[in-house]
Amino acid sequence: MTKDKALEELFLAQKPNFTDNDAFMAALTKRLDAVEYVKQHQEATIRRYKMMMVAAFVVGIISGAITIAWVLSTPTNVPLFTFHVQTGILKWLAENSRLIATTLLSLLMTFGIISIINNVQDILQMRVRLYNGDLR
Amino acid sequence: MTREVFIAQVEREQEALRGFLLALCCGNKGDADDLAQDALVKAYLSSAGYQDKGKFRSWLYKIAYNTFLNNKASLRCTESIDEARTLVSSTGSDAEFEHQDLYLALRTLPPKERSTITLFYLNGYSIKEIAAITDTSEDAVKKQLSRGRDKLKEKLKI
Repeated sequence: MTKDKALEELFLAQKPNFTDNDAFMAALTKRLDAVEYVKQHQEATIRRYKMMMVAAFVVGIISGAITIAWVLSTPTNVPLFTFHVQTGILKWLAENSRLIATTLLSLLMTFGIISIINNVQDILQMRVRLYNGDLR
Repeated sequence: MTREVFIAQVEREQEALRGFLLALCCGNKGDADDLAQDALVKAYLSSAGYQDKGKFRSWLYKIAYNTFLNNKASLRCTESIDEARTLVSSTGSDAEFEHQDLYLALRTLPPKERSTITLFYLNGYSIKEIAAITDTSEDAVKKQLSRGRDKLKEKLKI
């Protein structure tokens, strides 16, 4: 496609000369400083978040392992807990205490893992937002 | 890209970028400079992923173009030339430009046509380069250029 000569001349004639380049660059540097500050703050938040997650993970693993070890180390013919009553449901609970404790423990650990995965996703999204310039 | 390199490159390119945005904002220097600052901050934040292939200016223009389209400045410009004349003459920042008629005529073009025309006539980009900057096909760029040129010529009576 060929250029329209008259239009081209008109555009080139109106090419502006900026006299405030220094002021523009100074304002930009100031904004970049502010952005850098927010970026560092957000990176520090992500680091703290990560540390807390690692700590929660370690505590969860250790306490889970201790509880499982305790459940496994108790004699199998003795229930984990008793209610000293003979009513139907409580008796059933006492008889199946080992199974119930293991199930609850597994559920707890599953929720823990799900929350860790959510946190990892949150951190990744924060990172993406941070590097895409969305600093809200 | 380090901050120092980024600032050095921007120092070289900022005048051309501001000129481009000034044309897109139809001579409104305040809007144009705000958009330029926003675009440059966005560019800075994504400069970590930028690979220097000698196309820094096109990369900046792409960010500036998208910033302009996402900004309300692009919406408020498509008006009749008479409405635009009242608006332009009321803003002091435009008084310094002798070629207000061009800005007035540009104001009547839709944002995408205005960008294409500006990139072609003011910045001297080829159709292929404009297609890359605006993320459209070369055919679409050709159509926008043809439509935009006809409208401008009609408004400017040239």
